[in-house]
Amino acid sequence: MSEHRIFFRETVERILADALDKADIDAAEERILPARLYEALNENGIPLMLVSEDKGGIGATVADAAAILRAMGEASAPGPILETMLGQQLLASVGLEFSPGLISLVFVDGIDVPELGATEWSNATVHAVPWGAAADHVLIVARTAAGTQLIVTNGADWTATPERDAAGEPRDNLSARSLPVTVIALANGDAYLRAAAVLRAAQCLGAIEWAFRRSVEYTGERKQFGREIGKFQAIQQMLAELAGHVLACVGLVEAAAEGMNPQLIAAARSRLGDAIDATITITHQVHGAMGFSLEYSLNSRTRRLMAWRDDFGSTLYWRRMLAREFTHLQRDEFWPAVADSGLAAVG
Amino acid sequence: MSAAHLSIELPELPPEAQTLRQEVRAFIAEEREAGRLPPPRKIGLGFDREMSRRIGARSWIGMTWPKEYGGQERSALERYVVTEELLAAAVPVGAHWVADRQSGPVLLKFGTEAQRRAYLPRIVTGDLTFSIGMSEPESGSDLASLKARAEKIDGGWRINGRKIWTTNAHHAQYMIILVRTSEATGSRHEGISQLIVDLSLPGVNISPIVSMANEHDFNEVLFEDVVVGDDALIGKEGNGWNQVSAELAYERSGPERWLSSFRLVSELVGALGPCVQSASQEELGRILSHLLALRQLSMSVASMIQQGKSANMEASIVKDLGTKFEQETVRVVRNIVSAEDLTANGREERLRALLIHAQQYAPAFTIRGGTNEILRGIIARGIGLR
Repeated sequence: MSEHRIFFRETVERILADALDKADIDAAEERILPARLYEALNENGIPLMLVSEDKGGIGATVADAAAILRAMGEASAPGPILETMLGQQLLASVGLEFSPGLISLVFVDGIDVPELGATEWSNATVHAVPWGAAADHVLIVARTAAGTQLIVTNGADWTATPERDAAGEPRDNLSARSLPVTVIALANGDAYLRAAAVLRAAQCLGAIEWAFRRSVEYTGERKQFGREIGKFQAIQQMLAELAGHVLACVGLVEAAAEGMNPQLIAAARSRLGDAIDATITITHQVHGAMGFSLEYSLNSRTRRLMAWRDDFGSTLYWRRMLAREFTHLQRDEFWPAVADSGLAAVG
Repeated sequence: MSAAHLSIELPELPPEAQTLRQEVRAFIAEEREAGRLPPPRKIGLGFDREMSRRIGARSWIGMTWPKEYGGQERSALERYVVTEELLAAAVPVGAHWVADRQSGPVLLKFGTEAQRRAYLPRIVTGDLTFSIGMSEPESGSDLASLKARAEKIDGGWRINGRKIWTTNAHHAQYMIILVRTSEATGSRHEGISQLIVDLSLPGVNISPIVSMANEHDFNEVLFEDVVVGDDALIGKEGNGWNQVSAELAYERSGPERWLSSFRLVSELVGALGPCVQSASQEELGRILSHLLALRQLSMSVASMIQQGKSANMEASIVKDLGTKFEQETVRVVRNIVSAEDLTANGREERLRALLIHAQQYAPAFTIRGGTNEILRGIIARGIGLR
């Protein structure tokens, strides 16, 4: 890991330790953003880390951002931090003036959106926007027949119907009769979708790692039949199985974020889908009834996994994407294509 | 940091590895061109002495070993690249596989200078086949309960016992056998030693075990008063358990643990056109993602071995995940073949044959080289539960 990345990661871990507690996580279910956390992140320039240095950012890589989001996922930090980081990069990349604040970001497909260059969107609607009512800016990346476009809107111009995701965080439906917009062509919309997908993958990985580690610790604390439940083979076998899922995802998500290779990103999201199923099933089974209470912290991770797993392309979407990279190949072309898609780091 | 913090370093493939990969692909293309590599109708490692000699002639056997024993002193990652290319192309590597993967490394690590000189140069040419004498009829997962023994006699050892599931014993010149050489006073792991045995010696009796896939790979090997010299002992007397534990890490982490059913997937992809139903794409995408994850892990383990790090738990994870993946693969290919109606009316006859064979073979994936339950016991220890 580069020194840069270790520094970023340690900074964010320190911020999380100082500025986020269980009450903050719980408050997100009351639509309250953890203010101390976001202030500290802002002070350290984290929301702008993906913006290039000449545009006032830090110029960090997606892999750096992934390392931070993994720590945020591990801590089950609420709020649209991923959306804000990537949104700032999007705004900067299309040459829009920097504007501080919270950004929400959604990718949409198959809905009616205004044409390129339009300044107004009539009868606008978008669904399930993370922290939509709280966002200063709502960015919509829309796939249309004419290509991908970025629609930039002000959060204040929307009317929000509050909705929530499985973790209880806001996913609001937004509408407006007449909405001022800026509509810009986005040449590399798929690249942004991949970046969002791999960053969400890193967040999920962090949550998985926390749930796994907590479960291993718990089996050393909880006693039944006169001994720690971790001494029972049935428990050991389940956690060993989960360890495999965790390690497989660590390797794949890191490699995907590092190389930004489309096949590896699709593979990471697909592989995570199975790891998330295993994490939710096994960590709750190991915790027994204790883990089912709202008070116990396990659900703050497992419910986020439920909320996040199908963001920025569902598990099945990424599986189809991955398969399509290969299905046109002949038998003897297949292995070379597989082998060449996995080169994490060529020294 | 708690034991339950799992991490792995991303492998860095040196530029030489890319060149090497192209060389191996060129070799495979030549072999195909010459008609020596017909598309397989079976899974599993084929046995072809001449193929192993040709691979040996390219210096791809024992390639990480010191030059003085015929090796090339190349990195574990370069060996990894050669291995995965050969396996993915279904090149029959069975004649040198065990010797290259574990017998040679055991001799290098624990053997005497005379043993290294006697065996390693003949392994690298593809001339020597080794077999592994571990399991016994009454000692499967509980290997330390083994009954085969070697009794010290003047100038050597007298071996009696029975080994089972011995792959290629009927082709192999040698076996590294695990035997009890003294009674355990404390731990059962004491008093076990490794000996190298010439399988042509009097008293060695090899009989075939035909698998449910109707193949003769396995054997039962009976030792009746087989006499070997003092120079047959590998490493220290009584240290066999530790030596074998090191050996099993080589055995468990390699790409063969997730590439044996790969040819089934290649055949499937070849049979599929670009227009595939969504559900089939989703199933195929899923197993491809598992494949890519395993490959990352396997390369990382090769990288750890290269750096001299212990990778026992990681190797066990590769084998646990890899073998389950292989069984999944068979199920998924069967489903896609059915959903896409690929083999009806005599179409894709080779895919059909391969799928039948893979189904028959699949139960072995999660058993051979250590059952998955035993592997998970090792993983559980690695994360601090035992």
